[in-house]
Amino acid sequence: MKRIVLLIIILLILPGAAFGVQRFPPPEFETGHELPVTTVPNPRSEFLEYLDVVMLLVTLSLASYLALKKRSRRGLFFLGIFSLLYFGFWRKGCVCPIGAIQNMSLALFDKSYIPPITVIVFFVIPLAFTLFFGRTFCASVCPLGAIQDILLIRPLKVPSWVDNSLGVLAYLYFGAGVLFAATGSAFIICQYDPFVSFFRRSGSVSIIVIGICFLIIGMFVGRPYCRYLCPYSILLRLTSKGSKWHVSIAPGECINCRLCEDSCPFGAIRKPTQVQKDRKEGKKALTAMILLLPVLIALGALGGVSAGTPLSHVNSRVRLAERVWMEDTGKVTDTTEPSDAFRGTARPKDELYAEVVRINGKFAVGGGVFGGFVGLVIGSKLIQFSLRRRRVEYEADRSSCLSCGRCFAYCPVKKDSAIADA
Amino acid sequence: MKLSKTNLFIGIIITVAIVAAVAIILRTAMTTDRKTTIGNVFIYDIKEFSKTDPGLIKYKETGKIKTGFQNPFAIAIDSGDRIYVAGDKSIRILDAQGRILSNIKLIESPQCLNIADDGSIYVGMKEHLEVYNSRGTRTAKWESLGQNAVITAIAVSGNDVFVADASGKIILRYDKSGKLKTNIGKRNPDKGITGFIVPSPYFDAAITSDGLLWAVNPGLHKIEAYTYDGDLQASWGETSIEIKGFSGCCNPVNIAILPDGKFVTCEKGIPRVKIYSSNGNFESVVAGAESFANTVGIYNPSAGAEDSTKALDVAVNSKGHIFVLDPVEKTIRVFWLTNRRT
Amino acid sequence: MKEEKDKLSRRDFIRSGIRGACLLGLGGVLGLFYNRARASDLVWQIDPYKCIQCGRCADNCVLEISAVKCVHNFNMCGYCRLCTGYFNPQPNALNTGAENQLCPLGAINRTFIEDPYYEYTIDESLCIGCGKCVKGCYSFGNGSLFLQVRHDRCLNCNDCSIARACPANAFKRVPYSQPYVFKEQKG
Repeated sequence: MKRIVLLIIILLILPGAAFGVQRFPPPEFETGHELPVTTVPNPRSEFLEYLDVVMLLVTLSLASYLALKKRSRRGLFFLGIFSLLYFGFWRKGCVCPIGAIQNMSLALFDKSYIPPITVIVFFVIPLAFTLFFGRTFCASVCPLGAIQDILLIRPLKVPSWVDNSLGVLAYLYFGAGVLFAATGSAFIICQYDPFVSFFRRSGSVSIIVIGICFLIIGMFVGRPYCRYLCPYSILLRLTSKGSKWHVSIAPGECINCRLCEDSCPFGAIRKPTQVQKDRKEGKKALTAMILLLPVLIALGALGGVSAGTPLSHVNSRVRLAERVWMEDTGKVTDTTEPSDAFRGTARPKDELYAEVVRINGKFAVGGGVFGGFVGLVIGSKLIQFSLRRRRVEYEADRSSCLSCGRCFAYCPVKKDSAIADA
Repeated sequence: MKLSKTNLFIGIIITVAIVAAVAIILRTAMTTDRKTTIGNVFIYDIKEFSKTDPGLIKYKETGKIKTGFQNPFAIAIDSGDRIYVAGDKSIRILDAQGRILSNIKLIESPQCLNIADDGSIYVGMKEHLEVYNSRGTRTAKWESLGQNAVITAIAVSGNDVFVADASGKIILRYDKSGKLKTNIGKRNPDKGITGFIVPSPYFDAAITSDGLLWAVNPGLHKIEAYTYDGDLQASWGETSIEIKGFSGCCNPVNIAILPDGKFVTCEKGIPRVKIYSSNGNFESVVAGAESFANTVGIYNPSAGAEDSTKALDVAVNSKGHIFVLDPVEKTIRVFWLTNRRT
Repeated sequence: MKEEKDKLSRRDFIRSGIRGACLLGLGGVLGLFYNRARASDLVWQIDPYKCIQCGRCADNCVLEISAVKCVHNFNMCGYCRLCTGYFNPQPNALNTGAENQLCPLGAINRTFIEDPYYEYTIDESLCIGCGKCVKGCYSFGNGSLFLQVRHDRCLNCNDCSIARACPANAFKRVPYSQPYVFKEQKG
C-alpha cells in the first residue's frame, strides 16, 4: 500500500519537475497580478472535414444520376453552380482531388509525411465513381471545371492536331507534379492553380492575372484547363476508358442523323468511320509506330535523367546546399538569408550535403521515369493515330468526354431504356 | 472556321491571354529566394548597432583554448592563475596555456563557481551550493535555496560567501560553513535601494580589493556597490545603444575585476566585452560584436532553444589577461592588452 | 455483323481489363495507406526556434492580412520597463509615444502593473506578422515574443505560400490536435 502511494506521489511530481527545471520564472508581483494566458484559437472543426467528404459523395452520386439516368443538362448545370459555390467559394478550393495527387506522391516517398484520411478519400472517391460512371466528376463536381463551364459563351472548334498536341501538356504537368511532390520539393499543382485566387478572393497579382487569362480563354475555348492542363485528368481519362457505364449521346440506338456533330464544345464526339481503304499502308504505319515506342521511351528516359539535375533546383535544400558551398569556397562574397539561417542552426554541413545527394539521386531516377513516361505518352498517341477503329454510330470519346450533357438536347432519339450499355 | 471579324477578334484576345499567362507563369517559376518585399519600415536591421569603432579596441586575441565541453557554463581563475571551467557535469582545471591539470566530476550541472584563497572551490548548482577541495573531493553540500532558486554567481572573500539568486533577485551572504548571515539588495526605499531587477537568468557579482561587493543590476543597466552588511555605496552604468552604455533588457551579463580595479563587462544581445574604469567610465573595448559572430543575438537569429540561454562569461588573471568563455564556440578566448603607444 | 459483335466484345474485354486493373490500383493505394493514414487533419505552424524574423510571413500569405501573428508567452517575459521588443533602440522616452515604438502599426499595448514591471500584450487586429518586435525581443531580451500561425484565420492551404518562401524552413505540418508550437514546449 505504501509503495503504491509513493509511486503515485512520484508520478504526480515528475511532470512538475520536468516543467519547472528549465524555465526562468517571471517576476512575482506584489499586487498579486495574474499573468494573462496566451490564446490558442482552434482550426476549423474536424467534423466539417468529414462533412466535405459527404458532400463529395452526394454531388458525385447526383452528377452520375443526372448525366446517365436522367440525362438532364439543366440539372448538371445547376449542380455545377452548387459545386462551384460549395467546393469553390465556400471551401476555397482546398483540399481538392487534383492537389491530392501530390499528397499521395509525397506520402509514397516520404515516410515522415502521413496523409490525413480525408485527403486519401478525396483522391480515391472521384476515381472510383469514374470507373463506373465516366467523368461525372468533371461534369458538375469539380469547381475548377464548373467555373470554366459556366463562362463558356462562344465555344470555338479546336483543330484536332492542336487538341492532341496540347493534350500532351497535361501528361507533362502530371509527371512534373508527381516528381516535385515525391521529392518533397514543391506542390506545383497548388502553386499554379489558376482559379484559386478567385475562390479565396485574395492572392498575388500574378496568380490573379493568370486566373483572368484562363477565364478569358475559357470564354471561347471550352474548358482549357480541364482538357490541356489538369493533372488529375490523366487518371480520370484512364479510369473512364474502363468505366462500366458511360454517357451516351443517343439514349438508345443512334440513327446517324448527324445533328449532334458540332454540339460538343470540347471536341469529344467521335464520328462513325468510313470503310478501310489502304489496310496494308495502315498496317505498315502501325508497325512503325509500335517499333518507335520503345525508342521514344528510351530517349525520354535518357533526357529525363539528364534533366534531373537542373530540375532538382526547385528543391530549396538543393539551392541552399549550393549557396553554402559557393560561400564557403569563396565563389560569392555575401550571404543570403537562407544560408545565414542555416549556419545559425549549427547543423553540420555534411548532413546537408548528404541529404542533397539523396535528393539529387531521387531526381535522377524520377526524372528518368518522368522522361520515359513522356516518351510513352507520345508514342502511344502516335500508335493511336495509326489504329483504325470501326465506329457505326456517334459516340462520346470515353477519355475526353466530360459528361456535361450539352449533346443530349441535339439528339432526336426518344429515351426508351435505362443507361445505355457499353 | 470562317475568318470573320468576330473570329479574328476572338483569336487575338485568346492569343494575348495565352501569351500573358505563359509569361507570368514562367516569371513566377524563375524567381526563387526573393528578398522580402515588405518594405524597410517593417525590417529591424540590427547589424548597424553591432559595429565597433576599431580605435576603441585595445586588446588583441592571443589564443583559444578548447574546453572540450558540450555545454560550458562558467569560468573562474584562482589566485595561482589556474583556470577553472565548469561545464556539462564537471569542472576542468587548466593552466594558463590550456593544459588540463585535473577534472572534477560532479553529480549535477554546475551553473557558476568561485575559488577561495585556500583553494576550495565553491560550485553553484541550480538551487544549492557545493564545496570541493583542491583535490576534487566534495567537502560540503549546502542547503537548497528553494525549489525556484536560480543561482547565477558566487563571490568569495575571507570568511564570506556571497550567492546571487536570479529568481529571488537577491544576494545572500553566508559564512564558509554554510550558515546564512544576511541578504543584500532587498528593496528598501529608506536606504535608497531599489532592489534588483533580473528579467533573465543573468545576475553576476564580484568583490573588489577595497572590500565592496559589486553586483550587477541587469534590468537597470547598473553596477551597484554594497558593503558586506548591505548598504548601498555607489553605482554606475547607463542605458544606451551606443558603445559607452548597456543595451537590451538585461546587461551586463557577467563582470570581472582587473587587478587595477577596472571592470570587465560582458554583454548579450550585442555580444561584446568592454573595460570600464573603477569609477565606471567607459574606457575601451576588449572584443566587439565582430569577434562573436557565432554567439546568439545579432548574427544568428535562429539559434536553437539551447543556445538562446547562453552568454559570455569572463575571468581575469593576476597579470590582467582576460579569459572569455564563448559558450557557442565552446572555447576560452584569451585577450592581452596590446602594447601600443597612441 | 458478327465482325462488329466480335469487335464490340473485344472492346468490352479490354474495357473490363482496364477497369479491373484500375480497381486493383485503387485498392492497392487504399491498402498501402491503411496503417499509415492519420485520422486528424494536418495544419501549418511555425517552429519559433527556426524562425529568423525575416518579414516574409507578412507579405507571402495568400490572405490580405497574414494569418501569422506575433504571440506572447507571458511566462517567459521579463516585464521590463525598457522592453526591447516594444521600444526602438534609441527611444526618446520610455512611454507609449508612437515614435518610440518598434512596431510600425502600434500593435503592442504597454500597461503598467507595479513598479518596475510593465505588461505587453499584442493586439491581433493590428498585427501583420512582420516580426520586428520578435527580432527585438529575441536579440536583446528574453525571447518571449514569437510568430505563430493563427488558426482562426489560416486557410490551411495544401501548399502554404509562406512555408514555400521561408528561408529558414521554419514551417512544418502539425496535427490538428496540437496546432501550436510554443517556445519552451519540450519535444
